[in-house]
Amino acid sequence: MKKVITGDHAVAIGAKLCRVDVVPAYPITPQTLIIEHIADFVNDGELDTKFLTMESEHSVMSAAAAASAAGARVFTATSSQGLAFMHEMLYATAPLRLPVVMANASRTLGGPPGIWCEYNDSMGARDSGWLQLYVEDNQEALDMIIQSFRIAEDKRVLLPVMPCLDGFVLTHTVEPVEIPTQEEVDSFLGPYEPDIILDPARPAMIGTFMPAEYIMELRRQTVAAFDSAKDVIREVNSEFSKKFGRDYGGLVDTYRMDDAKVALITMGTVTSTSREVVDDLRQKGEKVGIIKLRFFRPFPSEDLRKLVSNLDALGVFDRSISYHGGGPVYNEVRSALFGMKMPVINHFAGLGGRDVTEDQIFKMFELTSRAAKGEKVKEVNWHNTRGETV
Amino acid sequence: MFEVRFHGRGGQGAVMAAQTLAEAAVNEGNYAVAFPFFGAERRGAPVLAFTRIDEKKIYSKTQVYAPDCVVVLDDSLLDTIDVVSGLKPNGTVIINSKEKPDDIDLGVSVRTASVNATSIALEILKAPITNTAILGAFAKATGIIRIESLEASIKQKFGEKLGEKVGERNAFAARTAYEKTIIGTSRSVKKLEAKKQWLPKYQDYPIGAALIEGKTEAGLIGPGSFIENKVSGWATYRPLRDKEKCTMCLLCWFYCPEGTIIRISDRGDLMTNYDYCKGCGVCANECPVDAIKMVRARA
Repeated sequence: MKKVITGDHAVAIGAKLCRVDVVPAYPITPQTLIIEHIADFVNDGELDTKFLTMESEHSVMSAAAAASAAGARVFTATSSQGLAFMHEMLYATAPLRLPVVMANASRTLGGPPGIWCEYNDSMGARDSGWLQLYVEDNQEALDMIIQSFRIAEDKRVLLPVMPCLDGFVLTHTVEPVEIPTQEEVDSFLGPYEPDIILDPARPAMIGTFMPAEYIMELRRQTVAAFDSAKDVIREVNSEFSKKFGRDYGGLVDTYRMDDAKVALITMGTVTSTSREVVDDLRQKGEKVGIIKLRFFRPFPSEDLRKLVSNLDALGVFDRSISYHGGGPVYNEVRSALFGMKMPVINHFAGLGGRDVTEDQIFKMFELTSRAAKGEKVKEVNWHNTRGETV
Repeated sequence: MFEVRFHGRGGQGAVMAAQTLAEAAVNEGNYAVAFPFFGAERRGAPVLAFTRIDEKKIYSKTQVYAPDCVVVLDDSLLDTIDVVSGLKPNGTVIINSKEKPDDIDLGVSVRTASVNATSIALEILKAPITNTAILGAFAKATGIIRIESLEASIKQKFGEKLGEKVGERNAFAARTAYEKTIIGTSRSVKKLEAKKQWLPKYQDYPIGAALIEGKTEAGLIGPGSFIENKVSGWATYRPLRDKEKCTMCLLCWFYCPEGTIIRISDRGDLMTNYDYCKGCGVCANECPVDAIKMVRARA
């Protein structure tokens, strides 16, 4: 069935179709519609879930981790300051291997306070041990909630997953979304069956104090789970694509990359707008393409090295800053491509929710193409920023 | 692709209008997206919403800068906002106004449609929520969507949220507006001035965005600068106080969220500064002796 719905609504329907057991919730713009829709589902008897209204985001993540440890399938959603407030508990969830799924509505993390899209909220959580992915439209938002539970609960992974959707640009935008049936989702995602849970009938300890003799191995074990996650993400993607007919490419997706000489790495909704720009440039005969970075954690270094091997230059879009210079994606990409000779150019745009227009994306391709021809181009470029020239 | 920009005020339902239009377009077999753009949400503040309609999937996730059609849910916005900004030369403006299109001065001569959506909304819906009525005018003036499709989407969308009766009344408001819409050409007398905005380069930015009282070419900045931000245009209603009934209990003065009720201590009296009154009606609601009545700010 096709419905014209917001990104938040799509996420809520995704969670409902996954038959989540527990949803601890706390409102924050632009995520609030998600938990409101879920509250409606529970109220209307469409969803049998324990809906907990908590007193803060810190408590939300505490409850999420605890419920997950007790064997429940747990979903929640947050954004910006809310994600920052639960930061401590994010770090508890991953190494304890609790497969919580939490949607993050990407929003600038103040100060100064703002409500629009920027990735500095989720990028601050990149080292917390959560898998992290970014979607470009409402269909992908819904589909990735379903895939996230499959990935998170896979015995080779058992890690929390944070699907991120652009605040307002998706959360409050309506567009047509194909809603899978409950039967389809049930046959794709079985019940969550953990081996060890907190159950008085069969006592267990999860998350107890650990001295130095043990933590190092636990960290190493979590890295191994991240490595396995790469294969699981690809497997889940191809199985999903067979079942539902929508293929997202796995860790990364590409657009018109076959004979591309210049490419832009994009994330979130900027990918979608960039497709139009690439079509225009292709019509003019320019060999350009897009690499859509879907998963930021685990970071798809191997995929990227393969994809860029025939490029003359690569542009990297960043929607948040690591204050020492380049953006987090840029730093990660350069590290992944270490030893490869091509110019890699960083493009900042859309911080604080500033609209990333087609003009800006054309400029990103223009600068990157100039670097490809050997012209001197600044490594880090601030687009549509007063006082900067690009 | 057909692109629409809605200008409204928080509470009039511009976002819902944009979404309903998208839904109706999808039901007619097209692809459509709709999205809002607003500041921190406040009832009465200017809001923008956009709808894009095309035969194929729409990938652009940016705001609409060159609309084919501009819809204005509140003609008081014409005083402060250049609603025709970026409008395509053959574009259409649709305005909620009691004026005929040929009497509306947009500063440019463009195809214009008008309907008194506020009156229709007050009569049929008993509330100044003009979104469904203005959609009726949109159907009439653009032909992009059939009025029947709109009625169906309104019934479905509003019905789902607010009950079947409300859905039907809103569909009727759209149909009524559809029939009453007049199409003409706007006048181009007034001089359009781009609204000045203080936009410093990062090098000139105050450190940490800390502001003291200041004056720029674009107006005041810093503390007290909101004095220039008159909001009387937001109000559908404004309070009128009956001095005979008033007992000077000061509850209205205490509860006014905007501090627009001022005590004149030497006369033991009150006055309302209508420049900053948004017409919320809290004063009238709190008055224990019913001395305050809310009256239409603009008939």
